[in-house]
Amino acid sequence: MSAELTTLTLASVLQVFQFVVYATLANRELGPGFTMSPRDRPPSREMSTRTARLGRAYENHIEWLLLFAIAVGVTELSGQNSALTAICAWIYLAARILYVPAYALGWRPWRSVIWAVGFLATTMMLLAALV
Amino acid sequence: MTETTILALYGLLVLLTIMLQVLGSLQSLSMGYLLSSRDEPREVGRMTARMNRALDNSIVALALFAPAILLLVVLERTSATTLMVAQVFLLARIIYLPVYALGVPAIRTLAWLAGFAATAVLYLLAL
Repeated sequence: MSAELTTLTLASVLQVFQFVVYATLANRELGPGFTMSPRDRPPSREMSTRTARLGRAYENHIEWLLLFAIAVGVTELSGQNSALTAICAWIYLAARILYVPAYALGWRPWRSVIWAVGFLATTMMLLAALV
Repeated sequence: MTETTILALYGLLVLLTIMLQVLGSLQSLSMGYLLSSRDEPREVGRMTARMNRALDNSIVALALFAPAILLLVVLERTSATTLMVAQVFLLARIIYLPVYALGVPAIRTLAWLAGFAATAVLYLLAL
């Protein structure tokens, strides 16, 4: 398996992991009475700051995983794997792993810097496929 | 130009939209807030709110468009027709963004519809 496909698989596992952590904490804090309901009303108890941050980190990764998957898909389908795309893929994965503690612990401005690294790695991969 | 190229171009368009959305939100939110963990929500300006909605919509469109293209390529069902339909999708989504930002009502809906219909046609052609 190519580096691009390996990192895509690992990034998807990271997404599952982020979901499990967030869902577990949110269920404990909001109570299953709310989470199992149709959620018509806002929850009576509030989530902790850290759990809300993990939720935003999870939602942000949904967007990025989609863009990264497309970058990998385009690279693989057009057979344009190179050292550059492999390095971009690993950088993307590393950035998205670091993004989770960066958000949860409020590393400022490093969360934004890490986000920008993921942004650049994905953009480079897509541009490399076009050139 | 192939369908895969169109997909790469649309991916880049979404990345550009994200960049514009971040730069635009600097008008109503401070850099300090953007760099923070954003624990308390803040009001954004009208233009930023429009860019947020346009971006959300572009991401949904991307999630639906990408599998259609991957299916067509993997199943080897690409043709002159699928290429043209993919081009229509890209054009519609390019028009969608400035039209949303400027608040042109009917054309925005038409551009959205063209992108939606193009995606649906691609799935039908993949079957």
